[in-house]
Order: sequence, then structure tokens, then C-alpha cells
Amino acid sequence: MNLSLADPFSLSQDYPEVFSHSLHYGHSSCVIFNRRGDLLASGRHDGTVVLFDVETGGLARIMRGHTRSVQSISWSHDGRYLLSSSLDCKCILWDLEDGSRKRIIRFEAAVYYAELHPSDHNLFAAAIHEDHPWLVDISTPKTKRIKLSTLPRKSTTESEDEAAPPSKSAASDAKALTLITLFDSMGQYIITATTRGWVNIIHTATQTTIFSSRVTKSAIVTARLSMSGRSLIFNSRDRILRTVHMPALTDEDIEDPSGILFQVEHTYQDLVNRLYWNHCDISPTGEYICASTYMNHDVYIWETNKGSLVKILEGPKEELGFVDWHPTRPMIVASGLETGRIYIWATNNPQRWSALAPDFQEVEENVEYIEKEDEFDYKDRAEMTKARLDREDEEVDLIGMDDAPGNFREEEKSWTMPVLLDIEESSEDDDVKIVGPTAATSQKKKKAGTAAAEKKGKKRKARD
Amino acid sequence: MDSNDTDGRLSPPFKRQRTVSPSPPFRDREIFEDAVTSRVASSLPSPPTLPVANDLRKPGTRPNYRLKYTLTGHNGGVSSVKFSPDGKWIASASADKTLRVWDARTGELEQIFEAHTAGISDVAWSPDSKTLATGSDDKTIRLWELKSGRMIRILKGHHNYVYCLNFNPQGNMIVSGSYDEAVRIWDIRSGNCQKTLPAHQDPVSGVDFIRDGTMIVSCSHDKLIRIWDTNTGQCLKTLVEEELPPVSCVRFSPNGKYILASTLDSSIRLWDYLRDGGKVLKTYLGHVNAKYSIFSAFSRDGKYIFSGSEDAAIYIWDVQTKEVLQILRSHEDVVLGVNAHPSENLLVSSSLDGTVKIWADEETT
Repeated sequence: MNLSLADPFSLSQDYPEVFSHSLHYGHSSCVIFNRRGDLLASGRHDGTVVLFDVETGGLARIMRGHTRSVQSISWSHDGRYLLSSSLDCKCILWDLEDGSRKRIIRFEAAVYYAELHPSDHNLFAAAIHEDHPWLVDISTPKTKRIKLSTLPRKSTTESEDEAAPPSKSAASDAKALTLITLFDSMGQYIITATTRGWVNIIHTATQTTIFSSRVTKSAIVTARLSMSGRSLIFNSRDRILRTVHMPALTDEDIEDPSGILFQVEHTYQDLVNRLYWNHCDISPTGEYICASTYMNHDVYIWETNKGSLVKILEGPKEELGFVDWHPTRPMIVASGLETGRIYIWATNNPQRWSALAPDFQEVEENVEYIEKEDEFDYKDRAEMTKARLDREDEEVDLIGMDDAPGNFREEEKSWTMPVLLDIEESSEDDDVKIVGPTAATSQKKKKAGTAAAEKKGKKRKARD
Repeated sequence: MDSNDTDGRLSPPFKRQRTVSPSPPFRDREIFEDAVTSRVASSLPSPPTLPVANDLRKPGTRPNYRLKYTLTGHNGGVSSVKFSPDGKWIASASADKTLRVWDARTGELEQIFEAHTAGISDVAWSPDSKTLATGSDDKTIRLWELKSGRMIRILKGHHNYVYCLNFNPQGNMIVSGSYDEAVRIWDIRSGNCQKTLPAHQDPVSGVDFIRDGTMIVSCSHDKLIRIWDTNTGQCLKTLVEEELPPVSCVRFSPNGKYILASTLDSSIRLWDYLRDGGKVLKTYLGHVNAKYSIFSAFSRDGKYIFSGSEDAAIYIWDVQTKEVLQILRSHEDVVLGVNAHPSENLLVSSSLDGTVKIWADEETT
């Protein structure tokens, strides 16, 4: 509701510009905001999942269950459930009402990525190391796993790779691994990306691949969908980020996928430094993208309209892994690979001094003051007061809400996590101190070297 | 409840040793700089008398509050009283350094919280009704767990008496105002002070969060009402009127569109803060308020405004017509706190006479 009074100039700033603060509680390997943007989930290298309160920077919850590094975290739409996937071959569905493990799902190998269905927290898709991706249904006590195909849809394969013998391409495609499984905004389709550069769109209900497109020849290691569900971004090993407009799929498209437009809109790369991108994200409106860089300390921001670079965010003295864009504010969060700190960039809001002194106005240049006709006339105070009281006949509505922008009625109804006050006591065994925005910066580097090596190892695996 | 008077004779179920303290060492919600008091007092015209239409009552349209219970036990003036958001409890904070929680339905004492080393000026409930926060003259804010009766946090940082405080709707932050002229925002999980806003030039007498928690309003004896962005800690607007007297209590309307501010010229103003420069839409008159920070409250249906008064009564106004609809008399000294029940037509009041009284609207109960 503060939008009504906020400075229009500061509101027009829609991407972060300055380093704001860092959070530290253990070695964070992945970070992601919930849909409302009031909580930040951090998966740690030791397998713990930590929730931070974005507003205060304080610890909101600590959840233990994984024994190895957390690879991805996915929030349910209402923010009540959280799905974490880990190298310990498990996915855990957490209920944030009480922090309990609602379900633990074991796989044969390490889980790269798992995402919850946008409207059903009992359904998720997971990408597994050296295995097929799975669609997992946990609505019943017995876990139902449905195999999803990594292979691209046949007809498109032939039309594109006509030169190559079909058998050979099929053989190489068979060796491909799916690294990412995303749901579209309605959850009707699953978008998967493979190490061979293929993007497959799979119908969730029938699990058939309805469309495939090879956006690049090299491995796609990151894929993300914007909050609006209209833009996709792919990060691949050829040092190029690609944005794709997510097609609106209809039933006819399922019958005849030839009409689906799935084309790369823009490519983003650093031609001078030839940088690899570690991770990337799209702003909620799809207007900007950001990416963290390999062997470099910066976060790059491009705007997607023309595809031009608008900002390079500096701050930390370490390479950054995961990046995530805040769902409502111009705020980016990134996790450091070496120390596992979480860095946050935001906008700089200068105080408007006219807000403090309402009798004054801020003007660009000198203005000659013109006295109003009755400005210094003598008036009888009692009469004025009476006149003013008589004028107060306006109807006021103290209860009713109108649907002005900024009144998130739907979100008010959504689930809110209880505020825990005994979290500090429950986490006494952690020797790493939290460093919030205001607190002093004392920290311990905990297994920083080994953790970074682990991360690099995983990256190499992904590139193969 | 067949008698027409509103005296406290109606079956107080909970009889505690009532300690009459004729002049409690109470300065909590009182401006103690003599200069301010005398200036305000001398410049005050006698409050205008408005028609009180108590006997012209039409059923259903006018409130008809009757005294239900008198809760005794505090050994000093009761500065603040609040219903819990779930409506089950009443918390009262007193100059006797204690916080008491009572059952809102029966009026029985549930819990006494003692740890403060000086009088308590204000109490606030967390949105989940599980935690209470109190601000005291010992310069600290303390958080209490209702279930266990334990003190769970002590928030230190203010350099002078803590005057007023409130939880945000998310329940993760507290805002507090103090005699040190600052507004502080606290993270209740860690107990750390998040922000210190150099808000005013006199004691901060009231603070409140807007319904979505993005803004804070504060008021002070320096005659200003300021609106702050919770996230950035920046002042978004200052409401000022010519010759506005010291402001003693401020709150956002339930929908967050207006601000209700009590001032020490015996008036309560309803501001439309969004309009350019801010505009007073309504002025509620009739009560006496020149010395104490007296709480005001909205009824849950948004039709009435309640306030305590220094003539030992509670005043009820019609929001639209500004007419005084009912005056509740039973307290023996200044009524400092009033609060409306979140879901029923119940009212609770606290007074300098050391009692807490529960009132029920008979039309609807």
C-alpha cells in the first residue's frame, strides 16, 4: 500500500543498482524467493534448508533432512510447501506450517533439479543424474513415478537433422541427459532441457512429448521461466544465454505441433571476455534478465526489449552461483560459491526532504513567489474553525477496500508461515553465525574450499 | 442487566483485592514536561458541548453499551488495554509494572507477567495472539509468550521511556516509539533493532502499521504525524495543520486509507493522508483530552469511533455525522485505554483508577 505515496522516480527504477547487504548462515548452494517475496529459501552444502525473512534479514526457519548438498528448491504456489532436491538422491517435501518433512522421495541417483506443479503440491517433476526425468505423484501414500522421455519428438528431429543419418543422431540423443524440468505457468506442460541442447515440451496429463526444439548444440544447464510465464531463459555451455517467448499452447497445437512458434528472441553473451554464465534468471515481468559469471565476481543485467546490457553489479569478492530475482521488488539475490554467503542487491532510495517538511516544495530552479490575494488577510479563527467543521460532511469508508493496484487481495488470503521465536535455541549446534544487514560481519569460513571444489566438479559433469 | 445505570455493580465475577491508590506514581502516558502541559492547558478553550442523543435511541442504529465486568487487580493506573486478535483475551498494561491477561469472555485473570522494572506504557498482541509485547519506562520492550507465561525476548536500544509499540500484520516486526524521539523497528525473531528512524523532535506518542505492513505512521508531541516506508525507513509524508496541538495517539483505519489522530486540544481528527498535503475529513469533539495520551479505536464495522476521556468517561461517535452517540460513565478517573473486540460488539477500557472494564452492546448481544 506504500505505492500510493512512494516517489515515482524511485518506482521507475526497476532493476537493482547497488549492493545492499549479505546474509550468512552456513554455506548456501542455492537461493530462491517464494512467490510473495517475503521469504528467501537457501539450500546449503551440508543439506540443510534455511529460510530467511527478506524484510528483516533474520532466520525464519531451519530444516534438516538432507545429508548432502541441496541442488534446487521449489516453492508451492501458496508458499506453504517447499520441495528440495539434493545430491543425496532424495527429494523432500516440507510443510512450513510446522517445518515437518511431509514426504521423502528417494531416487536411484543424485537429483539435479525438482520443481513442484504450480497448483498441486503433490505433483512434481525431477531431473536425475544419469537417468530419465520423472513425474512424481505423491497424492497417495504410495509414490507414483512416471517416466518422462529425454528423447526429442521424432518428426521434428528428421526435419531439422536431415543431413545426419537418423540412427546416429538417435544414438547420440539417447545418451542425452535431462538437467532441467520446469512446469509452465498453468502446469499443463513440462518443459525439459537436455545436455544435447534440446528443449522438449511434454504434456503433463499424458506425458507425451508434443514438441521439441534444438535451441543450441551444447548442453543447457539452466532454464528458468519468468513469473508471468511468458519468457523462458536458457543458459548453455556455449557461453550464450538465450531467451525464448513461451508459446501459448492450445489443444490444436497438441494435435499438430508444427504451428508452435518456439524461437530464440535474443542471445546474450560477453564477446570480449568470453564468459561462461553460472546461473541466470528473468525479472518477474520478463523485462530484464540477470546472470552470474564463471570465474568472475559480477552479476550482469540485460534488458530484453533490445537485448542490451544495462548494468554490471559488483560487490562481493567471490564467484557467484545461483541468482534469483525478487518477485515484486527490484532486488537480486546471489549465493557465493566460495564462502556460501548470500549477496543482495537492491535500489538506492534517497530521502525526499519535502516529505519531511510538507510546507516546502522541491523545485528545479528559482521560482518567483506570487502572493495570493487573501494569503495574509486577517481571519477570525473561531469562525474559520466552525466553517471547517461544517465542511466535514464527506462520507468516509473505513473498512472497504478497492482493487487499486498494490492491494494484493489474493495474496492476503494466501497462507502465511507462523513466526517462530525459538529458532535460535533450536540451532545451537550451528557454529556459523548469521550476519544480517545490521549485524557485525563476523563469520567462519566453513569447508569453503571443499565445497567450492564439489561445485566445480558438478559443473564439469554437467558440461560433459 | 435490567438496571439502566452503567455503574460497576453488575456482577464482577473476579473479585481481587482492589488496592485504591489515590495518586499512583504514574507518568507513563502523560506529558511530563510542565511547559508543554501548561501551554496546552492554557491555550485550550473549554471543550464545546455537543448534543448527546442517548435517549433518542433507535434500535440497531445506535450503540447501547452497558458495563459487563469490572476487572480489578492492578495497583496503579492502567495505561493500555487490548483485545487479542483472536478475541479470547484482554491484555492490560499498568504503571504497577505488570502486564495482566484476562479472559475476554468471563473477565477472569489468566496470567500476570512481571519483569519490567518500571511502569508499562503500552502493550501489543502479535497477529497470532500467542505473543505479547510491552513497552516500559525501564527503556526496554519485552516479549512474552502467553501459553507459558515466560518472557522470551528483551529488546534494548531505546535511550528513554518506551511510549508506544505495535506489531506488523506479518508478525515478524515491532515498531516502537519512545521518549528518546526515535521510532525503532525490531526483528522479533532475533530481537535486534532493524532500523532507527530519527522521527521526531519530541516524545513519539503513537505508532501503527498499515494493514499490509508496508507503511508506519508515527505521531509525536512535536505536533507532526509522519508516514514511513517500512522497507526503506524513509519518510514518505508529513501531515501538519496550522496550529496543530501535540498529537497523542495515531492509527490507520482498518482499510488503511485514513489516519485517526488524537490531539491534546480535546479533538480527534480523521485524515485522508493520500490527498495532496493531507486533509482532515472529520473532527470528533466532546471529550476532554489535554494532558494524557488517550487511545482511540474504530468499531469493527467501521461505524463508530471510541475514545477515552479525562472526565472519566468513554465517548462513542458516529464516524459520518461526528455526533456523540453514547457516553459511558463508570470509571473513577481518566480513561486511558479503549479497544474494540475484533469480532463481537465488545469494548474494553482501562483507567487511571486501576480498573479495566468490559462493555457489551446490548442491541446485539
